[in-house]
Amino acid sequence: MNITTCMKRHVVSITPDTMIHEAADIFVKKHIGLLPVVDKDDKPIGVIGMRDLLNLELPDFVNFVVDVDFVHDFGAVEDTRPPARTLNKKVKSLIRPIITVEEDAGLLRAYALMLQQNLHDILVVSKDGKLIGIASRVDVGVAILSSWTKVE
Amino acid sequence: MTALPAILSTIIFFGSLALIFSEKINRSIVAIAGSVLMIGVGTLFNFYSEEAAIEAIDFNTLGLLMGMMILVAMLEPTGFFEYLAVLAARASEGKPIRLFFLLGSITTVLSMFLDNVTTVVLIAPVTILISEILGVSALPYLVTEALLSNTGGVATLVGDPPNVLIGSAAGLSFNDFLIYSLPIVLVSWAGALFLLKYLFKKELSKRPRRSKAVMKLNPAETLNHPETARKILIVLGGAILFFFVHHLLHIEPSLVALSAAAIALMWVQPDIHEVLNKVEWSVLLFFGSLFVMVGGLEHSGVLEMIVRLFDNATGISPVLFGVLVIWIVAALSAVVDNVPITIALIPVIKGLGETGMDIGPLWWALAFGAGFGGSGTIIGSSANIIVATLSEKTRTPITSALWVKRGLPVMLVTCTIASILFAIFYRWL
Repeated sequence: MNITTCMKRHVVSITPDTMIHEAADIFVKKHIGLLPVVDKDDKPIGVIGMRDLLNLELPDFVNFVVDVDFVHDFGAVEDTRPPARTLNKKVKSLIRPIITVEEDAGLLRAYALMLQQNLHDILVVSKDGKLIGIASRVDVGVAILSSWTKVE
Repeated sequence: MTALPAILSTIIFFGSLALIFSEKINRSIVAIAGSVLMIGVGTLFNFYSEEAAIEAIDFNTLGLLMGMMILVAMLEPTGFFEYLAVLAARASEGKPIRLFFLLGSITTVLSMFLDNVTTVVLIAPVTILISEILGVSALPYLVTEALLSNTGGVATLVGDPPNVLIGSAAGLSFNDFLIYSLPIVLVSWAGALFLLKYLFKKELSKRPRRSKAVMKLNPAETLNHPETARKILIVLGGAILFFFVHHLLHIEPSLVALSAAAIALMWVQPDIHEVLNKVEWSVLLFFGSLFVMVGGLEHSGVLEMIVRLFDNATGISPVLFGVLVIWIVAALSAVVDNVPITIALIPVIKGLGETGMDIGPLWWALAFGAGFGGSGTIIGSSANIIVATLSEKTRTPITSALWVKRGLPVMLVTCTIASILFAIFYRWL
């Protein structure tokens, strides 16, 4: 079994020129956590996670105070949203480098990569480097576990 | 004595200082290399030796610093500093000016007894937190904390490394600092506080968007280890009591600090590796190496030459000379580390004493200059650097330009107040 057996084939992707508010709109409408960014040949050049957008409005103190449990009300930062200037920026600056696997990659190899690189989703590319699918940890894990369910 | 040893030791010392101030190589590495070179060259040219180098190290200073560092390293993870800042936030009820006075005062009091860097490192993150939930800029509070910790630290023997050095070299007790330094520092501190309130009046007059949010901060939850915090605070309190009477018992402050550290370690029994990892060995090595280098300068006769140079210049009145010391040391401390300046000037002042000059007041001039000068620039003190570096990771970084507008006036005002009081009370100092 390889990764193509469990990946999702209809991948929603964006280009580097997509605006931040447009990307937010896609996250909301598709209810997903990760967006591959592709060039005009459909080759993946990076990803944008939902957290990359959310981090834009994360208060500074979260990076300094190890345990924020004692802060019961985030007060003024609770109801802020990025200014229009930020929302109208292109996603380019937020793109993170990606790790992809080719379509013939084995499931355990894909899972190990995701585990080591701390990825929730992994992109699958064809031999010529085009984005053809995306698989989550659950997709890969379930595919592996499916051979465990019957004991002979 | 030929001039060669003097020339060689001068080259080694000032070469090392230049390298330290260029910040191309870590200062402790430079100091270690410089001190080894000083001993090597000194042995070769017969003006310095290993024995003389070890004698040149002021172990009283190192012991006092190490003892206090161990206590702070144990207190830090308990969350006590966050606890104080959260109490201040609640007491302020989210009113900016009240918060400004409370956070400023807490930082000052802590930095009078603990290392300024530790104080600021632990108070600043909570300050950013409080400002953000209130919806106000953290800048006025952060800058004020650094500047007031510089100022407040001058008040006590243990508040600032230059004071530890001066106290040890001049044989000044903890109480001497409370009698002679504290009153002058208090007036200078009040001057700094009200000046900062004025300089930040625009920011501080802005109404917080959510002043009620601070009331929901729970101080009890910031204390990770209340029992440990209680134990260390008891030991620290005991140490401060002993600081008051150390001269009567004929024990050095270093013994008080190291005993307190030993008692706290025995009582709490923390993971010793974790505690020792937090002790700033590089700082202690830096101090030790500087002592060795300055020892070389002394043995080669350079410091004597400088003393003679000053001695000729002291046709001017002693009061004016003292005021000049305040301003020259302050100007130097604003641009370079005040520890090497202090270590290098101590033997010079001692030498001036041997020529018959009354050097009692000069020690205070040195302490005021070294302490207050650090406020002048963003790189003037470690506390400034810490606050600036921290703010760089936020959306509103502190720039050197801003520091010149806020810190330099504070330096000028504190030095002016100190100079005036120094001149008025010269006879008693």
